[in-house]
Amino acid sequence: MSERLLDILLSSFPKLLLACLRATIPLTVIIFAVSLVLGFLLALVQIMDIKGLKRFARIYIWIFRGTPLLVQLYIIFFGLPSIGITLDAFPAAVIAFSLNNAAYNSETIRSAILSVPQGQTEAGYMVGLNYRQIMMRIVLPQAARVAFPTLSNSVISLTKDTSLVASITVVELFKTAQRIASVYFEPFALYCEAALIYLLLNTLLTFLQSYLEKKLVWKPVERTKHFTKAA
Amino acid sequence: MLEVKNLHKKFGSVEILKGIHFHINKGEVVAVLGSSGSGKTTLLRCLSFLEKADHGEIIFDDFHKDITQIRPKEIRQLRMKMGFVFQNYNLFRNKTAFQNVMEGLRIAQKVPEPQAKEIAVNTLKKVGMLERSDYYPDQLSGGQQQRVAIARAIALSPKVILFDEPTSALDPELTGEVLDVMKMLAREGTTMVVVTHEMGFAQEVANRIIFMDGGRIAADQPSKEFFTSPQDENIKRFLRRTLADYDYTI
Ligand SMILES: Nc1ncnc2c1ncn2[C@@H]1O[C@H](COP(=O)(O)OP(=O)(O)OP(=O)(O)O)[C@@H](O)[C@H]1O
Ligand SMILES: [Mg+2]
Repeated sequence: MSERLLDILLSSFPKLLLACLRATIPLTVIIFAVSLVLGFLLALVQIMDIKGLKRFARIYIWIFRGTPLLVQLYIIFFGLPSIGITLDAFPAAVIAFSLNNAAYNSETIRSAILSVPQGQTEAGYMVGLNYRQIMMRIVLPQAARVAFPTLSNSVISLTKDTSLVASITVVELFKTAQRIASVYFEPFALYCEAALIYLLLNTLLTFLQSYLEKKLVWKPVERTKHFTKAA
Repeated sequence: MLEVKNLHKKFGSVEILKGIHFHINKGEVVAVLGSSGSGKTTLLRCLSFLEKADHGEIIFDDFHKDITQIRPKEIRQLRMKMGFVFQNYNLFRNKTAFQNVMEGLRIAQKVPEPQAKEIAVNTLKKVGMLERSDYYPDQLSGGQQQRVAIARAIALSPKVILFDEPTSALDPELTGEVLDVMKMLAREGTTMVVVTHEMGFAQEVANRIIFMDGGRIAADQPSKEFFTSPQDENIKRFLRRTLADYDYTI
């Protein structure tokens, strides 16, 4: 590797890292939080079978899963101004991504809730709990464990997908790499460096996932095999 | 004490319960027998409002109402007086044996922590599961889970406990430990309705037998009578078949 290239890589590393900390990570965190809450609500209105809202949720999910994220992003950032709604790039990115991810998260959460056997709810009723208590204390904790790996997966996808917002001028990790690459005419090196930072970020997330997964497990870690039913 | 009159239940267009009159007195152990599909589970589920009946009246002590007109609040109050033991235990999987027993005491009945703990310890001891208090359902055998489920039911001191085939999901060698607990409850005077295929239990422990056939009660008589002088051909056939199994497994 030439000395010049090494210099470029070393000097751009802190810039890329900063872009990651300033934009990519905040985007990921905000979008994930918003889409989790929205997704949960969309799942809940379907589970609770609330008439009008359930229909709304199904149509919402149909649209946001059925159209490309990049197109949604363009509609919100480049399209809305023509009907008088102009948004800055960052909020536009947050809105588009949150709405899109909420559709996916709601399906994850809904199927996790449905995976909890009906008998758990019935047993809850028979010890005198009401619907809300059963949801909060029995069903949702069990559903959380089921949904967790899939939701973790979607956070990891999300960190990478945020690179799409470079196309609407948000200066995040990838956009920063593009700029430096065009200054030095070193696209190969710079994009590889950006990829490395995404990889580092997701490696950390993967560790966090397995740590949290252990915390979510309600069994004591040491399982005593011989008390479980044989065969 | 608990009574239903003229209970009807359809699933779709198929009538599963065709006018059931059923009652149980305080201290009685009633075994509900009948071939598969005769509506035994459906009866218990209608009694506990897990299934909505289409027609009928329910009487519980001095409460008397059309079962279709009953309000959610009344359902909760009636359920507080009932325990239910499921065929597949249905222990809360995210809670330990101890927490399973505590749940209804603390959250539904609002029993203060120290008393609730004492009750939980006593009931778990009673079913022989105290040493396994901190185990999660997945770490227990079927028989152990069912004993915890019985502890969870009796901890709430219900007036009647409904059992739906409490031993039929168990390996044969594990049914004994659960039946022993139920026999102990019967000796203590617990009021129980037990849907079962355990002919031995029905003969030895139940005071009265209800035989269901095609959504109707075909016989309702003292246990001794039922087994010694069966009323009709269907019952005779049922007894021949099941008692043959019973003799065989002994
Ligand atoms: N949720 C349901 N939807 C439709 N049909 C049902 C439902 N639950 C029960 N049935 C039908 O009702 C009939 C009676 O069922 P039930 O479970 O009460 O019988 P059972 O006497 O408990 O039988 P088993 O001894 O096999 O447990 C069966 O034919 C069954 O297929
Ligand atoms: Mg049944």
